Amino acid sequence: MTHHDPPLDPAIAALLRGAAPARFGDGFSARVLARVHAQRDSSLVHALERQFVRIVPLAAAATVLLAAYNWWGARATAASALDAALNLPQVTLSSAYSPATLFGVANTLTDTP
Amino acid sequence: MTDGPSDAELLDRARTGDDQAFGALVSRYERAVAATVIGMLGPGDDADDVGQETFVRFHRSLHRFRGESSLETYLVHIAMNLSINALRSRRRSLLRFVSRDEADRTDFPEPRAGPDGEIDTAELNEHVRAAVARLGEKHRAVVVLRLFHECSTRETAEILGIAEGTVLSRLSRAMKELQAQLTPYVRGDGAALPEHIR
Repeated sequence: MTHHDPPLDPAIAALLRGAAPARFGDGFSARVLARVHAQRDSSLVHALERQFVRIVPLAAAATVLLAAYNWWGARATAASALDAALNLPQVTLSSAYSPATLFGVANTLTDTP
Repeated sequence: MTDGPSDAELLDRARTGDDQAFGALVSRYERAVAATVIGMLGPGDDADDVGQETFVRFHRSLHRFRGESSLETYLVHIAMNLSINALRSRRRSLLRFVSRDEADRTDFPEPRAGPDGEIDTAELNEHVRAAVARLGEKHRAVVVLRLFHECSTRETAEILGIAEGTVLSRLSRAMKELQAQLTPYVRGDGAALPEHIR
């Protein structure tokens, strides 16, 4: 179906055409270009953000796998689940203050036969 | 007819990152976008912002523009969509503070004839734009595209995503409203009108 334009009142139509806004404020073009440049700079940040969002689930999955692996390997020891998952060594107060730990030398008291 | 490089040339250069070419396109189509955006939103910071956003979006889609429609129609399409969105969000925020009746009311002074009996062109144009601003959003969009922008009925229908018949009925209703408001300035011998309209 085709539609034909109804005849518009030519005087009103001319009045309207004559009143059509012609310009934005001075320096419009410069404002647009400034915004385009700002957009370009922020697009690098957005690209990095997108990469980050893509990597986060993979990193989280790898962390969970590693923790499960550590926990599975240490399940026979007395380590807590968290220590086991993080693969933390067993540390006691006396072993923490032993000369071997503090100075990297052999404990003469315990090492001597 | 446009002077200087063609749109296609400027587009090619703009796609390679030539800001000067993009700036030339902005200057070339500022009038078309201004007619649409200011026609819909009225003059002011909002309109300027939407005008800028129109060109920023166009810049982002430079590589996707294949020229199925004219560049002007493409830009007017973006400008109209953004203007309608801006009108809706403006309306939402306005309605938080005032009643719907208050939000719809727009008062503009009548243009007055000078000592020579002739109405100043700028004042008359402002009055005409105010009459357009008083139209409802849907009718205003049709008037802006068909009369400010001189789009065909088909182009108007495509841009607004409505049937051609709907464009015609909205145009007819809008013209009746406008005639009621503007006839005093065009009827008779048009003595009060600037020469270019008589």
